[in-house]
Amino acid sequence: MNKLQSTLVIVLILIGAIVGAKIYFAPKKVEINLQSARAKGNPQARVKIVEFIDFQCPACAYGINFLKTFFEQHPNDLYLQVRYFPLTNMHHHAMLSALYSECASRQGKFWELDDLMIPQQSQWAQLINPDPVFQSMAGQVGMDMTQLNACLASDDARKVINDEKSLGQSMGISSTPTYFINGKMVVGAKSMQDELKNYFPN
Amino acid sequence: MLFLLRIIIGSVFIVSGLGKLLAPYQNFLYVIQAYQLLPSWAEVLVAQIFPWLELIVGVFVALGLWTSWSLRGAGILFGIFVVVVGQALIRGLPLENCGCFGEWIHLKPQTVIVMDSLSLLLTLVLLRNLSSVQKFSLDSRFDQT
Repeated sequence: MNKLQSTLVIVLILIGAIVGAKIYFAPKKVEINLQSARAKGNPQARVKIVEFIDFQCPACAYGINFLKTFFEQHPNDLYLQVRYFPLTNMHHHAMLSALYSECASRQGKFWELDDLMIPQQSQWAQLINPDPVFQSMAGQVGMDMTQLNACLASDDARKVINDEKSLGQSMGISSTPTYFINGKMVVGAKSMQDELKNYFPN
Repeated sequence: MLFLLRIIIGSVFIVSGLGKLLAPYQNFLYVIQAYQLLPSWAEVLVAQIFPWLELIVGVFVALGLWTSWSLRGAGILFGIFVVVVGQALIRGLPLENCGCFGEWIHLKPQTVIVMDSLSLLLTLVLLRNLSSVQKFSLDSRFDQT
């Protein structure tokens, strides 16, 4: 075999190996739970979004704010479900903010707390201990504080968050925000906006 | 010893390319978007093609195949990294991670620009000493026959 032939063989082996590995290690597909307490919108909507979120991630805050406005413009055409993906190696309060959100969802207050937590992200993200701020937010949205503190202390809420993160990792997620729009993976608010333009051109 | 350096530089590209290729391309697209340098269509194109370039250049450099050309390719890639990361640092873009190695290795842009500049210099050194670099290479086997 001459040099050119060897080069061609090496390139073909590389392509074959990568394509084979991608097929073999293909990420899991997203499934939507229509009973989730962390969902809003019309369950029959033509556009269903599952978002994996880290509450301390600035791009997630931008994305959530964009989707909030988008929901107001298209109230019947969207369904959004949120799942946890705290980037604990990057954001010190990612787990604590997710824990408060999970405990709020158990009291049916997920979106109310989210509406307070996200706009104030840049403030609490800088605190050494944002716990008093989250406690105050929970009080403002009318959460039962005894139930909340029991939930925060339990391993169960943490397990739900870690399980969702593991699920996300098995789906190939590594960054936030990651969205699945009608099953198609898009990462970042910019790609999410571009993808939504395919469904809502105007 | 220069042939060892050639293998190390090739391995860097192999790890970098594999890390991106084995993950969904959307993850690397998100990294590219953070640099705010290209139009949307070009970002998608680069996200899909660039990891293949890294892998192929890396394998060729490591194996010592078309060494002169593959080292030039490696030099160009390092040069692109220096320019892209450098402009992000000058513009003060809020990058937490350079995204250079997919999800396998996380490096701050300040760290990676030093590493890339150094790697670019080492690649130029290799290019000036091709005969030593081609020790234990496929090129040397083909040239013998």
